Amino acid sequence: MTERRRPIALITGATSGIGLEMAKRMAVDHQLVLTGRRQTHECAADLPPDAHYIKADLSDPVRSARHLAAKFFSLEPGRLDLLIINAGIGFHTSAGREDVAMVRQTLDVNLISSIMLVRQFAPLLEASHGKVVFIGSVAHRGAANMPTYAASKAGLAGLARSLKSEWKDRIGVQIIHPGPTRTTMHAKAGYDPGILRKLFFSPEAMADEIVRRIKDDRTHTRISIKARLGRLILRRRP
Amino acid sequence: MKALVTGAASGIGKALVERFLDLDMQVVGVDREAVGNKGNLVSIRADLASRQDVDRLVVELKDHGPFDYVVHNAGISATGKFEHIPDEAYRRLLTVNTETPLVMTSALLAAGCIVMDTRIIFISSLSHSTGYPGAAVYGASKDAVAVYAKSLRKSLFKDRIHVMAVFPGPVRTDHAERHAPPGAKAERRMEPGEIAERIVTAARQRKKVLYPGKAANFVRIIGAVMPETTTRFMRLAIYEKLQRSVY
Repeated sequence: MTERRRPIALITGATSGIGLEMAKRMAVDHQLVLTGRRQTHECAADLPPDAHYIKADLSDPVRSARHLAAKFFSLEPGRLDLLIINAGIGFHTSAGREDVAMVRQTLDVNLISSIMLVRQFAPLLEASHGKVVFIGSVAHRGAANMPTYAASKAGLAGLARSLKSEWKDRIGVQIIHPGPTRTTMHAKAGYDPGILRKLFFSPEAMADEIVRRIKDDRTHTRISIKARLGRLILRRRP
Repeated sequence: MKALVTGAASGIGKALVERFLDLDMQVVGVDREAVGNKGNLVSIRADLASRQDVDRLVVELKDHGPFDYVVHNAGISATGKFEHIPDEAYRRLLTVNTETPLVMTSALLAAGCIVMDTRIIFISSLSHSTGYPGAAVYGASKDAVAVYAKSLRKSLFKDRIHVMAVFPGPVRTDHAERHAPPGAKAERRMEPGEIAERIVTAARQRKKVLYPGKAANFVRIIGAVMPETTTRFMRLAIYEKLQRSVY
């Protein structure tokens, strides 16, 4: 009997928040390649022990996608089963006043890099009969205090919808829209949810839900208050 | 009254400039190509795919503001199989169609060129109602603009700044001609003049969204009720007829 190879999964933005928690959960049955902005020595202790790590700052989309692909091929030539586009940033603003640099950075990291990465890895995913999973946001239908963030996630949703059709027999496409989660994004974005924070998912619980949904293969799903209540009723622990 | 129109040298933009001039308004037309100065029209040349040009443009626009109408019309496409189009073409497309309108809006707000009663108009695409196999990144760029407009509308509501998104179907422009699948019928496309008139009228009436024409409204409904069937139709009508990539 030959040993079954573990599927290979690449997760972007895996050094903190939901990405890191997903990595911990998937490490059991996947060979992981993780990416993030942090230096290798800063985050190595947090990451699952046998995961590969590639440092990649996605704010220069074309170059970083090429760099990341080249590094990936040197680590895991010839196969990619699961590409999880998770890296994302967001900024909170009042009354639509967004800073130009923030607008550009948000689009670069959340939308444009995602497109460039998918472009780099499409041939490998096709050859491996793999799947791309986009981590969107419930904000993809609009968010008054994060207009550019909402736009970037709407772009991902639109891309997923079209690629699903273009790739129907070739590469799997899935988009998962997480609801509010207690990651550092809100603090980084300059937003204090106050008492509402109690309703938010913990990153652990959100990662749990996402990993479950990656397995069930529905094209488009939202993880929101319904799932939060479901977890409470079923007493699911992360 | 004063209007700012991007992509003013051709297509819907050119028709909008003419419409605003007919209404005796002053117009600032921005385009990569010369728009021509005549009477009430001031032309500014800028490549909206270039960050340097956009940064220079918003500084220059300060002297012309505030505006009563700001129309983000400039747009480019890339048709072909997703993986057949080069990175650089996607980068250009996403800058012109998504980044630049968002950056210009932020900069014009900060500079006081968008004020109470200004109408900001974003030209999205009817593809927002469906998947767009064969122009996946174009579709994504226009979905982003549509949702930005929706989000901004909510946040600027209190300042009485009005935001409208337009979702045009095929329009009889050089742009459509270049990207249409072979055998597509040009006479079915809407005239730019007609669409420009509808846009100005709807903006005056403070409409939130405009699907110009019966066909566009039909697609909007079908797309909402039967999203998968609509996308499947788009695949048959566009993706499976692709013979070459155009970008």
